[in-house]
Amino acid sequence: MVDASVIIWGPLLLIAGLFAIFGILWAIGYPLLFLWSALFSENNLDKRILKLKQREAATLSGLKRDPLSTLRGEYRAEAAESGLVYASIVFGPSHWHLMIGWLGNLVGGRIDILHKVVATARAEAQQRLREQALADGWEEVLNVRLDTAEMTPASRQKGIRAVEVFAYGTGVRYG
Amino acid sequence: MQHIVEGIIVVNTETIAGKVITQNLGVVGGSTVRAKHLGKDIFAGLKNVVGGELKAYTELLEESRGEALGRMVADAMARGANAVVNVRFATSAVTAGAAELFAYGTAVKIE
Repeated sequence: MVDASVIIWGPLLLIAGLFAIFGILWAIGYPLLFLWSALFSENNLDKRILKLKQREAATLSGLKRDPLSTLRGEYRAEAAESGLVYASIVFGPSHWHLMIGWLGNLVGGRIDILHKVVATARAEAQQRLREQALADGWEEVLNVRLDTAEMTPASRQKGIRAVEVFAYGTGVRYG
Repeated sequence: MQHIVEGIIVVNTETIAGKVITQNLGVVGGSTVRAKHLGKDIFAGLKNVVGGELKAYTELLEESRGEALGRMVADAMARGANAVVNVRFATSAVTAGAAELFAYGTAVKIE
Protein backbone atom coordinates (compact mmCIF):
# COMPACT_ATOMS: atom_id res chain seq x y z
CA MET A 1 0.00 0.00 0.00
CA VAL A 2 1.27 3.45 -0.97
CA ASP A 3 0.79 6.12 1.64
CA ALA A 4 -1.74 8.81 0.59
CA SER A 5 0.67 11.60 1.46
CA VAL A 6 3.19 10.28 -1.09
CA ILE A 7 0.61 10.63 -3.88
CA ILE A 8 -0.09 14.23 -2.87
CA TRP A 9 3.43 15.42 -2.07
CA GLY A 10 5.36 13.33 -4.59
CA PRO A 11 4.47 15.30 -7.72
CA LEU A 12 4.84 18.64 -5.91
CA LEU A 13 8.32 17.71 -4.70
CA LEU A 14 9.22 16.56 -8.20
CA ILE A 15 8.19 19.91 -9.69
CA ALA A 16 10.03 21.80 -6.93
CA GLY A 17 13.12 19.68 -7.61
CA LEU A 18 13.01 20.42 -11.34
CA PHE A 19 12.74 24.15 -10.62
CA ALA A 20 15.71 23.92 -8.24
CA ILE A 21 17.82 22.06 -10.82
CA PHE A 22 16.91 24.59 -13.50
CA GLY A 23 17.77 27.46 -11.14
CA ILE A 24 21.20 26.01 -10.36
CA LEU A 25 21.96 25.37 -14.05
CA TRP A 26 20.89 28.93 -14.88
CA ALA A 27 23.08 30.36 -12.11
CA ILE A 28 26.12 28.53 -13.53
CA GLY A 29 25.20 28.87 -17.20
CA TYR A 30 24.20 32.52 -17.33
CA PRO A 31 27.65 34.03 -16.56
CA LEU A 32 29.19 31.70 -19.16
CA LEU A 33 26.62 32.72 -21.78
CA PHE A 34 27.14 36.38 -20.88
CA LEU A 35 30.90 35.97 -21.29
CA TRP A 36 30.28 34.27 -24.64
CA SER A 37 28.10 37.16 -25.76
CA ALA A 38 30.70 39.72 -24.61
CA LEU A 39 33.38 37.93 -26.66
CA PHE A 40 31.49 37.04 -29.82
CA SER A 41 28.18 38.91 -30.24
CA GLU A 42 29.74 42.02 -31.81
CA ASN A 43 31.63 39.86 -34.29
CA ASN A 44 28.57 37.71 -35.07
CA LEU A 45 26.49 40.82 -35.76
CA ASP A 46 29.13 42.18 -38.15
CA LYS A 47 29.28 38.83 -39.96
CA ARG A 48 25.51 38.83 -40.36
CA ILE A 49 25.56 42.38 -41.76
CA LEU A 50 28.27 41.39 -44.24
CA LYS A 51 26.27 38.34 -45.45
CA LEU A 52 23.13 40.47 -45.72
CA LYS A 53 24.97 43.04 -47.87
CA GLN A 54 26.07 40.23 -50.20
CA ARG A 55 22.51 38.90 -50.55
CA GLU A 56 21.20 42.41 -51.21
CA ALA A 57 23.86 43.01 -53.85
CA ALA A 58 23.00 39.67 -55.52
CA THR A 59 19.28 40.55 -55.73
CA LEU A 60 19.86 44.10 -56.92
CA SER A 61 22.44 43.19 -59.54
CA GLY A 62 20.15 40.45 -60.88
CA LEU A 63 17.20 42.83 -61.29
CA LYS A 64 19.12 46.10 -61.92
CA ARG A 65 16.64 47.81 -59.52
CA ASP A 66 15.05 47.47 -56.10
CA PRO A 67 11.75 45.55 -56.38
CA LEU A 68 10.38 47.15 -53.20
CA SER A 69 8.65 50.51 -53.14
CA THR A 70 6.08 52.38 -51.08
CA LEU A 71 4.23 53.59 -54.19
CA ARG A 72 0.52 52.89 -54.41
CA GLY A 73 -0.91 50.46 -56.90
CA GLU A 74 -2.27 53.10 -59.29
CA TYR A 75 1.02 54.20 -60.80
CA ARG A 76 0.98 51.43 -63.40
CA ALA A 77 -2.47 50.26 -64.47
CA GLU A 78 -1.56 47.37 -66.77
CA ALA A 79 -0.72 44.80 -64.07
CA ALA A 80 -1.75 41.25 -64.92
CA GLU A 81 -1.91 39.87 -61.39
CA SER A 82 -1.43 40.99 -57.80
CA GLY A 83 -1.32 39.46 -54.34
CA LEU A 84 -0.02 39.85 -50.81
CA VAL A 85 3.63 39.09 -49.92
CA TYR A 86 5.06 39.14 -46.42
CA ALA A 87 8.23 38.30 -44.49
CA SER A 88 9.34 38.75 -40.91
CA ILE A 89 12.16 38.35 -38.42
CA VAL A 90 12.46 38.37 -34.64
CA PHE A 91 15.88 39.77 -33.77
CA GLY A 92 17.37 40.74 -30.43
CA PRO A 93 20.48 42.38 -29.03
CA SER A 94 22.71 40.24 -26.80
CA HIS A 95 22.81 40.98 -23.08
CA TRP A 96 26.29 42.43 -23.63
CA HIS A 97 24.82 44.89 -26.16
CA LEU A 98 22.05 45.71 -23.69
CA MET A 99 24.63 46.44 -21.00
CA ILE A 100 26.57 48.78 -23.31
CA GLY A 101 23.24 50.36 -24.26
CA TRP A 102 22.41 50.86 -20.59
CA LEU A 103 25.77 52.54 -19.99
CA GLY A 104 25.15 54.77 -23.01
CA ASN A 105 21.75 55.58 -21.56
CA LEU A 106 23.43 57.05 -18.46
CA VAL A 107 25.57 59.40 -20.56
CA GLY A 108 22.80 60.15 -23.04
CA GLY A 109 23.06 60.85 -26.76
CA ARG A 110 23.34 58.34 -29.56
CA ILE A 111 23.36 54.62 -28.69
CA ASP A 112 24.98 53.20 -31.79
CA ILE A 113 25.02 49.52 -30.85
CA LEU A 114 21.25 49.22 -30.32
CA HIS A 115 20.63 51.22 -33.49
CA LYS A 116 22.83 48.74 -35.36
CA VAL A 117 20.79 45.78 -34.07
CA VAL A 118 17.41 47.25 -35.03
CA ALA A 119 18.69 48.51 -38.40
CA THR A 120 20.01 45.01 -39.18
CA ALA A 121 16.65 43.47 -38.28
CA ARG A 122 14.86 45.89 -40.61
CA ALA A 123 17.27 45.36 -43.49
CA GLU A 124 16.97 41.58 -43.05
CA ALA A 125 13.15 41.73 -43.13
CA GLN A 126 13.27 43.78 -46.33
CA GLN A 127 15.73 41.39 -47.95
CA ARG A 128 13.52 38.42 -47.00
CA LEU A 129 10.55 40.23 -48.56
CA ARG A 130 12.54 40.68 -51.79
CA GLU A 131 13.52 37.01 -51.83
CA GLN A 132 9.98 35.86 -50.99
CA ALA A 133 8.49 38.07 -53.71
CA LEU A 134 10.91 36.78 -56.36
CA ALA A 135 10.34 33.17 -55.24
CA ASP A 136 6.56 33.66 -55.58
CA GLY A 137 6.98 35.08 -59.08
CA TRP A 138 6.21 38.78 -58.48
CA GLU A 139 8.13 41.41 -60.44
CA GLU A 140 7.63 44.27 -58.02
CA VAL A 141 6.26 44.87 -54.51
CA LEU A 142 4.16 48.01 -54.04
CA ASN A 143 2.90 49.78 -50.94
CA VAL A 144 5.53 48.17 -48.70
CA ARG A 145 4.96 48.65 -44.97
CA LEU A 146 7.42 47.89 -42.19
CA ASP A 147 5.84 47.17 -38.83
CA THR A 148 8.02 46.94 -35.74
CA ALA A 149 6.75 45.39 -32.51
CA GLU A 150 8.48 44.57 -29.24
CA MET A 151 8.35 40.97 -28.03
CA THR A 152 8.20 42.19 -24.40
CA PRO A 153 6.79 45.62 -23.52
CA ALA A 154 9.62 48.04 -22.53
CA SER A 155 7.87 48.68 -19.19
CA ARG A 156 8.47 45.10 -18.09
CA GLN A 157 11.70 44.30 -16.28
CA LYS A 158 12.09 40.68 -17.38
CA GLY A 159 11.47 38.78 -20.56
CA ILE A 160 12.77 38.31 -24.08
CA ARG A 161 14.41 41.48 -25.40
CA ALA A 162 13.79 41.45 -29.11
CA VAL A 163 12.05 43.36 -31.86
CA GLU A 164 9.82 41.81 -34.45
CA VAL A 165 9.99 43.40 -37.87
CA PHE A 166 7.20 42.50 -40.25
CA ALA A 167 7.44 43.62 -43.87
CA TYR A 168 4.52 43.29 -46.25
CA GLY A 169 3.32 44.65 -49.53
CA THR A 170 1.41 43.93 -52.70
CA GLY A 171 3.25 41.82 -55.23
CA VAL A 172 2.58 42.75 -58.85
CA ARG A 173 3.26 40.94 -62.11
CA TYR A 174 3.08 42.94 -65.33
CA GLY A 175 2.07 41.80 -68.79
CA MET B 1 1.97 33.03 -58.59
CA GLN B 2 1.54 32.25 -54.91
CA HIS B 3 -1.84 33.21 -53.48
CA ILE B 4 -3.20 32.61 -49.98
CA VAL B 5 -6.34 30.97 -51.38
CA GLU B 6 -6.84 30.31 -55.08
CA GLY B 7 -9.39 32.61 -56.66
CA ILE B 8 -9.23 35.33 -54.00
CA ILE B 9 -6.97 38.33 -54.53
CA VAL B 10 -5.53 39.79 -51.32
CA VAL B 11 -3.65 43.10 -51.53
CA ASN B 12 -2.72 45.93 -49.19
CA THR B 13 -3.37 48.66 -51.77
CA GLU B 14 -6.73 50.44 -51.95
CA THR B 15 -7.34 49.39 -55.52
CA ILE B 16 -6.23 46.44 -57.61
CA ALA B 17 -4.34 47.39 -60.77
CA GLY B 18 -6.24 46.36 -63.88
CA LYS B 19 -9.47 45.55 -61.98
CA VAL B 20 -12.59 47.54 -61.09
CA ILE B 21 -14.21 47.28 -57.66
CA THR B 22 -17.97 46.93 -58.10
CA GLN B 23 -19.24 46.22 -54.60
CA ASN B 24 -18.09 46.87 -51.04
CA LEU B 25 -18.92 44.00 -48.67
CA GLY B 26 -17.53 45.50 -45.47
CA VAL B 27 -14.61 44.93 -43.11
CA VAL B 28 -13.47 41.34 -42.64
CA GLY B 29 -10.87 40.13 -40.17
CA GLY B 30 -9.26 37.09 -38.66
CA SER B 31 -7.16 36.65 -35.57
CA THR B 32 -5.33 33.93 -33.66
CA VAL B 33 -3.37 33.51 -30.44
CA ARG B 34 -0.54 30.98 -30.56
CA ALA B 35 2.39 29.97 -28.39
CA LYS B 36 5.44 27.74 -28.67
CA HIS B 37 6.02 24.92 -26.20
CA LEU B 38 8.08 25.49 -23.03
CA GLY B 39 11.25 23.92 -24.43
CA LYS B 40 11.39 26.40 -27.31
CA ASP B 41 10.66 29.28 -24.91
CA ILE B 42 13.58 28.24 -22.71
CA PHE B 43 15.88 27.88 -25.70
CA ALA B 44 14.81 31.31 -27.00
CA GLY B 45 15.58 32.74 -23.56
CA LEU B 46 19.11 31.32 -23.76
CA LYS B 47 19.57 32.49 -27.36
CA ASN B 48 18.46 35.98 -26.29
CA VAL B 49 21.50 36.25 -23.96
CA VAL B 50 23.92 35.87 -26.88
CA GLY B 51 21.77 37.92 -29.26
CA GLY B 52 20.74 37.36 -32.86
CA GLU B 53 17.68 35.94 -34.52
CA LEU B 54 15.16 34.01 -32.39
CA LYS B 55 14.07 31.50 -35.03
CA ALA B 56 11.38 29.87 -32.86
CA TYR B 57 9.56 33.20 -32.55
CA THR B 58 10.03 34.14 -36.20
CA GLU B 59 8.38 30.79 -37.00
CA LEU B 60 5.62 31.36 -34.43
CA LEU B 61 4.67 34.73 -35.87
CA GLU B 62 4.87 33.47 -39.45
CA GLU B 63 2.50 30.57 -38.68
CA SER B 64 0.13 32.83 -36.75
CA ARG B 65 0.00 35.35 -39.57
CA GLY B 66 -0.80 32.65 -42.09
CA GLU B 67 -3.62 31.43 -39.87
CA ALA B 68 -5.04 34.92 -39.27
CA LEU B 69 -4.95 35.64 -43.01
CA GLY B 70 -6.64 32.30 -43.73
CA ARG B 71 -9.47 33.16 -41.33
CA MET B 72 -9.83 36.62 -42.85
CA VAL B 73 -10.10 35.12 -46.34
CA ALA B 74 -12.66 32.56 -45.09
CA ASP B 75 -14.73 35.44 -43.68
CA ALA B 76 -14.52 37.26 -47.02
CA MET B 77 -15.54 34.13 -48.95
CA ALA B 78 -18.55 33.67 -46.65
CA ARG B 79 -19.68 37.13 -47.73
CA GLY B 80 -19.32 36.23 -51.37
CA ALA B 81 -16.31 38.42 -52.04
CA ASN B 82 -13.63 37.64 -54.62
CA ALA B 83 -10.98 40.03 -53.28
CA VAL B 84 -9.79 41.67 -50.06
CA VAL B 85 -8.19 45.11 -50.38
CA ASN B 86 -6.28 47.42 -48.03
CA VAL B 87 -5.20 44.60 -45.69
CA ARG B 88 -3.49 45.62 -42.44
CA PHE B 89 -1.94 43.75 -39.55
CA ALA B 90 -1.95 44.32 -35.81
CA THR B 91 0.13 42.50 -33.20
CA SER B 92 -0.23 42.37 -29.44
CA ALA B 93 1.62 40.35 -26.82
CA VAL B 94 -1.10 38.89 -24.60
CA THR B 95 1.41 37.28 -22.25
CA ALA B 96 5.10 36.40 -22.44
CA GLY B 97 5.64 33.92 -25.26
CA ALA B 98 2.14 34.15 -26.73
CA ALA B 99 1.25 36.49 -29.55
CA GLU B 100 -2.09 37.66 -30.86
CA LEU B 101 -2.08 38.40 -34.56
CA PHE B 102 -4.91 40.20 -36.27
CA ALA B 103 -5.35 40.72 -40.00
CA TYR B 104 -8.14 42.86 -41.39
CA GLY B 105 -9.20 44.37 -44.66
CA THR B 106 -12.16 45.28 -46.84
CA ALA B 107 -13.97 42.51 -48.71
CA VAL B 108 -14.96 43.60 -52.20
CA LYS B 109 -16.28 42.26 -55.47
CA ILE B 110 -14.13 42.99 -58.51
CA GLU B 111 -14.48 42.66 -62.24
